[in-house]
Amino acid sequence: MDSSLLEIWQTAPGSPFLPTVGKGSQFLVGFVLLLLGLSLTGAFALNRSLVTLPVLGIPASLAIAYGTVYMFCAVGVYV
Amino acid sequence: MLNITLYDSVIACLSLLSSVAADANAAEPSSSESASPSTFKPPQVFKNANLVHVISLEKNFAKEAINVLIENVSTEPQDEYFLPFTSSQMERVGGFEVKDRKDPDVVGFVAEAVEVDPSSNLQYYRIRLPKPLAPNGQQTLGISFYYLEAFTPLPAAIEQSEKQYLVYSFSAYCPSSYPTIKQKTEVKLPSSDIPDYTIIAASGDEKEFPVKQGSKLTYGPFPEVPAGAVSPAKVRYEFTKPVTHVSQLERDIEVSHWGGNIAFEERYTLYNQGANLSAQFNRVKWAQSQYFNPQTYALKEMKFPLKVGSKDAYFTDAIGNVSTSRFRSNKREAVLELKPRYPVFGGWKYPFTIGWNADSRRFLKKKSDDTYLLNVPLLEGPKQAEGVGYEHVQVRVLLPEGAENVKFYTTAPESSITEHNVHLERTYLDTIGRTVLTIKARNLVDDLRDRELIVSYDYSTVAILRKPFVIFASMMAVFTSMWAISKVDVKFSTK
Repeated sequence: MDSSLLEIWQTAPGSPFLPTVGKGSQFLVGFVLLLLGLSLTGAFALNRSLVTLPVLGIPASLAIAYGTVYMFCAVGVYV
Repeated sequence: MLNITLYDSVIACLSLLSSVAADANAAEPSSSESASPSTFKPPQVFKNANLVHVISLEKNFAKEAINVLIENVSTEPQDEYFLPFTSSQMERVGGFEVKDRKDPDVVGFVAEAVEVDPSSNLQYYRIRLPKPLAPNGQQTLGISFYYLEAFTPLPAAIEQSEKQYLVYSFSAYCPSSYPTIKQKTEVKLPSSDIPDYTIIAASGDEKEFPVKQGSKLTYGPFPEVPAGAVSPAKVRYEFTKPVTHVSQLERDIEVSHWGGNIAFEERYTLYNQGANLSAQFNRVKWAQSQYFNPQTYALKEMKFPLKVGSKDAYFTDAIGNVSTSRFRSNKREAVLELKPRYPVFGGWKYPFTIGWNADSRRFLKKKSDDTYLLNVPLLEGPKQAEGVGYEHVQVRVLLPEGAENVKFYTTAPESSITEHNVHLERTYLDTIGRTVLTIKARNLVDDLRDRELIVSYDYSTVAILRKPFVIFASMMAVFTSMWAISKVDVKFSTK
């Protein structure tokens, strides 16, 4: 128990925490990113080479990574 | 009907005589309870110059308030005041708080249960005064606490539509480790229907105690009473309301930075400790009685006033979703109204789960770059006119994965918190697991439902990015494997 926390809460500047993507747009962001990620995966699947691995693989992985996190939140599993 | 009055008057008179006999040795307690072997006796350094003991039985737990003017009678400054409890009371006491009645600015009273002799029937709460009291100095303490499971229904089994009566046992003299010069005990009851109460011999102008005024009984004022004296008394009164008791409440608060959400879930194991049914439950009679709405001792509805902005509420039990609930959420309020699957009569149990979501901006603040502050209610149980008692409460705050340096503070009485720890727990998309702060508390009541729980934690940007990074790395591994596998030549050779 740290009794100073009560004072810290009361005196802390009024900056409530807001997420980067609001609750209302999580589904849209998640869906678009996943769609983009899957499309890039498809493109990579058609043309697998050492060049397309970073050119298509990195953006596809990033899109799927953020898309998955936001899609989880959008369906109510707030990770 | 139990004729407790005469019996208890005799006991009370005997007790009065014994306390007079004990006057010669003021430190010697007069009751049989306190006569049990005890190696510890609080030093006789105080006297109670004036004491008012208020017992409120208006809810389904007993609230006791002791307002006492203490005086240091020793030659040294003193800062430890002891309050005795029997071991049975000690198990059921909770919400112990001490204030200075005259000066609310005086803070820093520390109240804690002391275990000096576990085998003794007499246990103590020690109140440490913020400043030692000088010799002959006086201070007015306002001590308040609750007893759970304080009542016994009498008769123990009644008809479905009968009135319920409860019995409460107490002492007409306030139990104290110090001599009390002047005192009185007030018992506040929910109605003036009080068929039985202990009558004791009075002093002064009155012939006998208590003095009954409507729904209030007053024992005293009594002249000087030695330390440890008790005068057992009982009161039996009408209480046709459910005696709601939550034996176990598990409350989870899940913080999500990615989703900007705080998810609450509460799992209740609820009992009605009122009188049992003397005959089979009659559904037709119950349905009929709902039309003219008489008072009942069955629990048929609960109201949960949640914080404004709460949404997505759900109510389930062992079978599944319970459709008899209503959730009203608007700009001014968010009330969840539940009807249990069946009316919960005395001796019946109803385990259920409720949950809801809220936006993080209402509870979470960013203090500095990596430090966050969370402020949530410690308890958000039902707000019932008749009250609710919670025996075991476990609050778990599931912080985001990678949160560290967790500190917490609650405005609930510190003596109610029995245990707290921080550990890791894996859920969806977790790799190392979420940081979980678990706080266990005992014997809380719904009067404490607005008490805050403040948690501070550090959550770095690297920790925030752990989830997408793990998925990113996994996907890159998949793509690299796809490329590597595509390079394997599995064709039949034409040579």
